[in-house]
Amino acid sequence: MGGITNQARCVIAGCVGLSLLAAASVRAGNVSLRAYPEFVRVDPFGQMVKADRMADATQAALMQGGRSISLQGSRGGYVSFQLVAEPTGNEAYTLELRLGPGESGIQAEVYREWFHHLESDQSYCPDALIPIQLPYSSRLPEPDNRISRQTAQAFWVDIWIPSSGRPGVYRGGAILKAGRRSVKLPIELKVLRAIVPEQDVVTVDHNSYGSSWLGEQYPGLVHSGSDFYTSDAFFHLIQSYHRIFYEHRGVYHQLGYGHAGKVGPEFAPALAGEGKNHRVVNWELYDRHYGPLFDGSAFAGTRRGARPIPFVYLPINPEWPASFVNWGEPGYEAEFVNVVAEMEHHFREKRWTATRFEMFFNQKKRYMGFPWDGDEVRFPKDNWYFMEYARLLKKALPADTPVKFVFRADVSWDMEQQFHDLQGLVTLWCASGGILSWYKDAPRMLHGRGDLVWYYGGPPGVNEPSASITKFPFQAWLWGVDGFVHWLAVDPGQDPWFHFQGGNTALVYPGDRFGREEPIASIRLKIQRNCLQDLALLDGLRDRRPLQALKSEAAQRYNNSKLEDWWNPRPPMADRSASEWTGTGIDDATAYTSKMLAAIGPDAWASVHAYVMQLIAEVP
Amino acid sequence: MKFLCLLCVLSSLPARPGQSLPAPALSDLTAQLDDVARVGSVMVDGDLCRRIVTPRALKYMFMVDPRDQWLAGDNYDVDDVAFIATKKTLLRLSRLVPFAVDVNLWMPIEGHPDKIRVVIRNTHEMSQFWPWGALYQDMIPQMKTVLDSGKRVTVTDKPGWISVLAPVSDSLGDVIGVLEVVTQTQVDAHANVK
Repeated sequence: MGGITNQARCVIAGCVGLSLLAAASVRAGNVSLRAYPEFVRVDPFGQMVKADRMADATQAALMQGGRSISLQGSRGGYVSFQLVAEPTGNEAYTLELRLGPGESGIQAEVYREWFHHLESDQSYCPDALIPIQLPYSSRLPEPDNRISRQTAQAFWVDIWIPSSGRPGVYRGGAILKAGRRSVKLPIELKVLRAIVPEQDVVTVDHNSYGSSWLGEQYPGLVHSGSDFYTSDAFFHLIQSYHRIFYEHRGVYHQLGYGHAGKVGPEFAPALAGEGKNHRVVNWELYDRHYGPLFDGSAFAGTRRGARPIPFVYLPINPEWPASFVNWGEPGYEAEFVNVVAEMEHHFREKRWTATRFEMFFNQKKRYMGFPWDGDEVRFPKDNWYFMEYARLLKKALPADTPVKFVFRADVSWDMEQQFHDLQGLVTLWCASGGILSWYKDAPRMLHGRGDLVWYYGGPPGVNEPSASITKFPFQAWLWGVDGFVHWLAVDPGQDPWFHFQGGNTALVYPGDRFGREEPIASIRLKIQRNCLQDLALLDGLRDRRPLQALKSEAAQRYNNSKLEDWWNPRPPMADRSASEWTGTGIDDATAYTSKMLAAIGPDAWASVHAYVMQLIAEVP
Repeated sequence: MKFLCLLCVLSSLPARPGQSLPAPALSDLTAQLDDVARVGSVMVDGDLCRRIVTPRALKYMFMVDPRDQWLAGDNYDVDDVAFIATKKTLLRLSRLVPFAVDVNLWMPIEGHPDKIRVVIRNTHEMSQFWPWGALYQDMIPQMKTVLDSGKRVTVTDKPGWISVLAPVSDSLGDVIGVLEVVTQTQVDAHANVK
């Protein structure tokens, strides 16, 4: 295959590009092969899913595409589109994709789209992407998806254009064969000179809790050995989650303790002793878990290269490393300071100095473990505990440590008070997007003192327009904050394959069902990645155009909005203590932006993408 | 005999999170939990327990607002001093045995005799009764027995779990809560890390 590493058979010719704005189709007899933009999902019967149907005029334009695929894109990034194969009856078919020549370094990856049966409306929607080898041969109904009267199978195509790729036009085609009939859909890919910046302007984080879910999602792995949770397979699996998000321009967090302080063994070194004799006695599991993540070796062989993870939760909580039985006494301080100092020493010796180690308190009083909220403080009295832990952390660390310990707080109700009271103590803020939306000056203020600001929410379900996932990184960029957190991104539910609840807590799926000891991506994750590419490109144009002008134009194209539309006015209740607010009051105060963002058009990001392509095409 | 057992227990090493200690035989486990429960009934201050959950939290606990599904949880608050003092006692009680044990505090809810709530949970995040995340739940019959009779009850309904329930009394002699002294025959190191 020369320079093309496509596990499928892919030969690329000419140039590469990244925009497919209209559907294209070819037909021979009853055999049909159609191509769709990444934002238009098709069901197993060849119809666009309801959420992605557009206004009539747009829809009509989309369906009047030509008999070829025209793409364009930047180097160092991906171009994506979808193919929909409609062979006749249950006749066997074969799909092939050819792009060339091989020395271009351009690589294509093709995924079969799994059609999830949605419990809510008894419909089907594609999301999980199963990597396939080309040529791909099967028949309908697809045997494992088991959809009676299925007439169409959709495929996601990712084309990777390396930074070293030569600008120009590349040509190839997708070929569908069924029985004696064969159709070819020509592909033209224009590779632009621009290179997608390696660094993202928005950190998109994918959060998770503990690791028991890995055992549930990978029964094959659990039953293959005697002790799954200490096996190499277990640690490789964890690292594969980091890898899939990294490859999709994201980061991954895994919280290692519960609301009452229980710590998973692989998230912390083993401790022994009490009081002044409290010490680390064993780093084995911790180092096996995190070593390859902190030195970057877990990412060897990835397209983005072997880099240490940028962020990680520490296991610190009110019950670890010091026992709460001594809270407020010298023994608590001794236990905390001794162990955290040992951690700093260990990390320094290992040269794990590229990762930010987050002291983060996730516990809530409502889960009855501790008497203060670490997460989403509502009652201002709880802020005192943050100050005390900041004092303990400072005492544990050498002033000149090269290890990056940071104090992170996830804030909502009381964030304005916390921004004030915890100045200089907390330096990584993860804020409720709704409440942050009425503190327009906060990001600038926090950046001014060197803090990082993220906001959080959850993945949109598959029953929302496909472009909905772009609103999170886009809003972060428009707001001028550093990142966005999907609060839970690895839980697809009990049976995502045949009884799907919608995917509001998952952007990846377990690959176990398909014989893969790693997660597989979703359409939503791919769309998010492509959005992040565009944002990096767009932001990179700030030396040519004012950033505000870029943002204004992008917002206008996205949903016909103005920049101020992305903020809510400060409500009168914001001047009262957060303990006096109500949840419904917050909903009312965020109604303006909620309403605006509730209905993202399926083509919203396509419009921004077109704008980005237009701008970078103008760059000499 | 029980006194001798307790002496043995008291002389054992305390269990700390992350430490694994050899588990005794099943019958011995139950006996040791019962001893902890008995000591707990004496040591836990029922008057202090009454002050843990704030009137505000109790006021909102049963309120329902179709527009605000988090109304009760968002108004849940505790008195730090009472919570901490009681939790420390519970943690010390759990150290009476050399294996992983939690001593959880449960309390009935005034005006809702058919309900009960967990008030303090602990390090190993074990409970035979708590559905994760519940602010309150239907009264557990064995807990009602303890509340009504003031006697300890051992529960092994859930396979692999042993809980000894013991009364907590206030200064008037009224039983105001229940201790759940709980362990598992096979501890799951990853459960409830969430």
